[in-house]
Amino acid sequence: MTRSACSRCGTATEVGDLRCAICAEPTPAKAAEVEVQPTMLLRCTGCSAALSHEADQEGHACGFCGEPLELEESADPLESVDATLPFTVDGAAAKAALQSWLGEQSFFQPSDLKASARIDSLRPLWWVAWCFDADALMSWAADSEVGSRESEWAPHSGEVMLRFEDVIVSASRGLTGAETRALESSYELVTAGDELEVPDGALQEEFDVQRSAARARVQAALRHIGAARLEREEVPGVRCRNLHFEPLLRSLETRRLAFPAWVLAYRYRDELYRVVISGQDAECVRGKAPFSFAKLLLVVGLVICAVLLMGLVGALISFG
Amino acid sequence: MEEQHTQEPEYEIRCAECGANLIVGEHLLTARCPYCASTSVVERERSSDRPRPTFIVPFTWGADRARDRIKRWIGNRGAFAPRAFREAAIEGLRGVYVPAWLYGAVGAADYSASIGENYTRVETYTTTDSKGNTVTRTRVRTYTEWRSLTGRYQGWMVDFLVSASEGLRNEELEAVEPFDLRGLRRYDPRLLAGWIAEEASVDRTACMGDARGEAETRLGRSISAFMPGDSHRNLRYAAEFSEETAALVLLPVWIGSARYGADEEQVRILMNGQSGEVVGSVPKSWMKILALVLAVLVGLPLLLMGCASVFGLVFA
Repeated sequence: MTRSACSRCGTATEVGDLRCAICAEPTPAKAAEVEVQPTMLLRCTGCSAALSHEADQEGHACGFCGEPLELEESADPLESVDATLPFTVDGAAAKAALQSWLGEQSFFQPSDLKASARIDSLRPLWWVAWCFDADALMSWAADSEVGSRESEWAPHSGEVMLRFEDVIVSASRGLTGAETRALESSYELVTAGDELEVPDGALQEEFDVQRSAARARVQAALRHIGAARLEREEVPGVRCRNLHFEPLLRSLETRRLAFPAWVLAYRYRDELYRVVISGQDAECVRGKAPFSFAKLLLVVGLVICAVLLMGLVGALISFG
Repeated sequence: MEEQHTQEPEYEIRCAECGANLIVGEHLLTARCPYCASTSVVERERSSDRPRPTFIVPFTWGADRARDRIKRWIGNRGAFAPRAFREAAIEGLRGVYVPAWLYGAVGAADYSASIGENYTRVETYTTTDSKGNTVTRTRVRTYTEWRSLTGRYQGWMVDFLVSASEGLRNEELEAVEPFDLRGLRRYDPRLLAGWIAEEASVDRTACMGDARGEAETRLGRSISAFMPGDSHRNLRYAAEFSEETAALVLLPVWIGSARYGADEEQVRILMNGQSGEVVGSVPKSWMKILALVLAVLVGLPLLLMGCASVFGLVFA
C-alpha cells in the first residue's frame, strides 16, 4: 500500500483520500486514482466476525464461535491488513497452557474441572486491530482539589505534548473487548511482517470497517487514552472533575495488524467454554470457566452459621 | 485546462444585474440569469486567471424530483401563508454549482475567565412555626467562589464553507447548509455536463474574512464549553488562526422562484441539491394574522369568563 504524508500535519494519507483525516488539507491530485475493488468475505451468522474468503473454507464453521459462515460481497472500501505477527506458540503448547490454566482456577470453580474438562476444538487464528502512533498537543482544563479554598475544587489548565506509541485498538468482532485487552500486551510488535508460517487450518479475520469509520474509532480511542493520561499525569492532585481537552494531532500513523491467537473450546458437563491464548505468549490466557454454585452456597451457609453463632455467644455472655 | 476544451464547448456568461459569472454548455445558453432571473445577460470571453475548483459535491436530486419536492414544500407552508402562495408556480428552476471556499485552520486562543466553584454550608436560622412559637432550624445553602483561570486552547478547525458567489450570498448558502462533505469528489469538468457552474467571483480575501468570522464563532463556543467549574463569567480570549488552508469547492443548489397571486409576486426558492433541504422566505398573509389576533383578543376573555362562571357554580 502506497502512503504519503499530509503536507500540513504530517498524518499518513492513503490512496483515494481527498483530504487529510486530521486537518482536512486537500491531498495533491494523482494522475490516476485507483479504483477500489469489491471485496469478498465470509460473514459468521453467529458473532458477525468477517473472515477472509478462501474457496475451500466456504460452508465451514466460524473459528470464533462455531456458527456457519456466509459469503458476503462489499463494494465499500474496506480496511485490509498491512502486516501479520507470527505464531511463536504451537498447538501443543497452547493445550498445555489451557491445562495449567484450568488447574489454577479459583476456589469457586468446580474441583473436578481440570480432570473432567475435554478440549473440544483448538483453532489458530489471527484477529485484527489498528495500531497507531501520534503526537498530540493537548490543551486541557479541569477542576482538582489542589489549591482549593472554600469550595473543594479549584480550576487548573495546561498544555502538554503527548506522544502515543503502539496503541492497539481492536477491530475484532470475533473476540470480545475483554479478551483482546488481555492479549494486547503479550505481543512483540516488531515481529510483524508479510511472510510467515501459517499453522494448519489457521483463519484470518478481516477488518470489516470502512476507512472513515476506522478513523473515527482510532480517534475516539486516542481521545479516551488521552483523557486517562491527562488525568493521571497532568492534572494536579488525586481528584479530578470537568476534564476538558482538545488534541492538536500531528503525524498520526495507523497500521493494520493481525495478531495470532489460539482459540480453544473445552467441554465440561456438556457445556462449552471458550479460552483464548496469545499466539506469542502461552502465559497469556483469557477464558471462561464454569462456576460452582454448590461451593458458593456452602460458603454463604457457613457465613450465616458463623454470624448466628457469634450472636448466640454474644447473647449468652450478656445474659450470663 | 486542455481537457476542458476537448469536452463540450463551454461559454461564460455574465449577469449585468447581480454580477454572477456562469459557465454553461452550449445547449444551456440562457437569456436569463438563474440567480436573479434578470435578462441582462451577456456572453463574454472565458477568463483563465480564476481559481480552479479542487472539489465538487455532486447533485443527488435531479430536475423532476427537485421540482416535486419544492412543489410539496410550497404546498405545506403553514397556516399563515397566503392561499395563492400554496398554488404558486415554480419558475426558472436551475441546478447551479455554486462556488464556495472550504476553509480550515489551527484555531488558538489565550483565554482568561472567572471560574465559579460551588460549595455548600449548613446554616441555622430562627423562624416561627404555624403555632406561633419561635424555632431554630437548619438549611443547606449553596455559595459560589470565583477563581481566576488563564490558559491556552488550540485545535484543528475544519469544514467551514463560505460562498464565493456573487449570485448566492453567504447568508443564503448558510440557509441551505449543511452539505455532507463525505460526498466530496475531486473536481472533474466532466461532472459539470448538463449543469450550470458559477466561477468564483467574490474576492478571496473577502471570503477568508467571512471564514475567519465563522471560525471565531465556533472557537468561542468551544472555549466556553472548555471551561471547568460549575459556571464561568468574564471569559475573554484573543483568537488567532494559523496554518490556514482554503480549497474551492462547487456545491449543488437548485435555484428557482415561486410566482403567485394576482400581482404575480415572486419569492426566491433555494434547494440543497445534495440533501433536498428547501428554503425560501415564505410570505405571510397579514389578513390571516390579523384574524388570529382578533380571535385571541375576543376569544380569550370569553373563555376566561366561561371558566370563571363554571368555577363559581362549582364552589358556590
